[in-house]
Amino acid sequence: MTDGVDQIIIIVLIILAIALAFSIGANDETLSALVGTGALKFKIALIIGGAAIGGGMILTSGGFVAKTVGSDILGQGLVYTTSMLLTVLISSILWLIVGSFAGIPLSSTHALIGSVVGVIITYAIFQGGVDPQTAFNWDKLGNVILSWFISPILGLLITYILFKILAKSYLTRLKGLNQIERSENYFKWILVLAVVFAEIWVGANSGEALGILYGLLDNGSIELEQYYLFAIFCGIFAFLGIYIAARYVIKNLASQMTDSRPSEGLIIQISSAIILMIATLLSVPISHSHVIVFCIIGINLAQKKEIDTKSLGRMAIYWVLTFPIAAVLAGLLYFGLMSIGFI
Amino acid sequence: MIREYEEKDLQKKSIDELTHLFMDIINKQNLVLIEGIEDLINENHEQFEKKLNYVIETTTEVQVKKVFESKIFKSKLMFSKSDRLKLFNKINDIKNIGEFMANRMLVYRIIFPDKEFKLHVSSILASLKLISNNLAIAVNFIGTDLYKAHEICEEIKEGRRKMRKLEFQLIQRLYHYDMDYLSRTFLYLKDMVEDIMMLADHIKNFAEYIQFLTIKYLLFK
Repeated sequence: MTDGVDQIIIIVLIILAIALAFSIGANDETLSALVGTGALKFKIALIIGGAAIGGGMILTSGGFVAKTVGSDILGQGLVYTTSMLLTVLISSILWLIVGSFAGIPLSSTHALIGSVVGVIITYAIFQGGVDPQTAFNWDKLGNVILSWFISPILGLLITYILFKILAKSYLTRLKGLNQIERSENYFKWILVLAVVFAEIWVGANSGEALGILYGLLDNGSIELEQYYLFAIFCGIFAFLGIYIAARYVIKNLASQMTDSRPSEGLIIQISSAIILMIATLLSVPISHSHVIVFCIIGINLAQKKEIDTKSLGRMAIYWVLTFPIAAVLAGLLYFGLMSIGFI
Repeated sequence: MIREYEEKDLQKKSIDELTHLFMDIINKQNLVLIEGIEDLINENHEQFEKKLNYVIETTTEVQVKKVFESKIFKSKLMFSKSDRLKLFNKINDIKNIGEFMANRMLVYRIIFPDKEFKLHVSSILASLKLISNNLAIAVNFIGTDLYKAHEICEEIKEGRRKMRKLEFQLIQRLYHYDMDYLSRTFLYLKDMVEDIMMLADHIKNFAEYIQFLTIKYLLFK
């Protein structure tokens, strides 16, 4: 590949990474719990939520999840080439688009890591650039994959325990609707803080966009100053994603959530934020949507409400399949590009 | 019989207070309707017509309804406001049924077939009065004690169950009189009993709705 083509690929990658940051904001529905309670005006909620997700992304861009995706997951001495990063991005975007058209809820984190694994294995086997056994930092990769199973279960447990504590110490003592309304009114304002806290960690744990940029930094395609500049762009575009595109999803979900109690929303948001915070501080990219789903299950279990096990089972199959399918897709794509001499 | 309210006084009231006030007004109207039917039984036609016309013409509750509706739409308590509105509408339905009954009963001046029939209707009306008063108490407890409201609703449902037995006995009695079954008297009495049943059914459904709210909002230990 000539230097000119490589430069073009780098620019394309930067644009795609920023677009990915926009899509992270556009797909974020954390604010719906807040909008549903009517605590804040819709536009103000979008601005606060957008600023929090963008801020979270920028503030943690110096390492954490971005470093894991963009560098630490790979074996000693191995760095991404621009074509690897391009293949990873194209493959994960393709799989997410297929999933969206098929109406399958997929995790972009799982798709991205799956694509990285597919590309690196293909590179190791067919290009012989590295020993497949040392192609990955297996401890790191193992921790990432393990966290995908642990984080939802932990989310369920934390939600369950927090709700039980709140219910036993306070909620069960409320007797009349006036009392319940008054206390939920206070919870509504605490929920504002919890959602802002959650949004910061959603931004911080969304390593897809910054991971790509970190990969470019790691292989010397961009300088550190440029990396931070693009990270700021990612933060701004995540904000715009929420403000411009996510409003429709948020409005729609919020209208279905008007009946839900702010105290329940508060517990769900605090639990998911705690999980995301721990995962981010451990530099592990996890799926926010998976954690949220399990937090909702936790709150339903705590209240002895029925769980739709059929839908949950279906969802679990897609969750488990995302990683291997993304890996195979990325591997085939990389092999295809190799075969036509692009790489 | 029921005092008029100043709008500015109503504006000062909370959603819960407006609901209580509305329930009390409607319950009083309900009691006036029942007393009117008792007057008919006692052949005091003048009082009967006066009371039923009062039920039809009085609009005191409309003021409360307007203030409630303007307040509920501005309310920021998203999670409960739809239930508050539904509760209010269910109270309003009692008024609508009462008005419908009053209009139907005023179309013709009836003579009851015998004393037994009168006694039977009086006994049903006493039960109706009881469950109507209990409903007003249950509604007033929604804001302060849903457990208590739930308990009272159980009593209402029990009261309705007993009433149903009496009502079918009354219908049976009506069908066994020696009269023309297309006569105005027969049709009037049949409609009257069915209308009382309709009102009692609404009160029972309302009580069940209050119990639904109890289960929805209370976290049981």
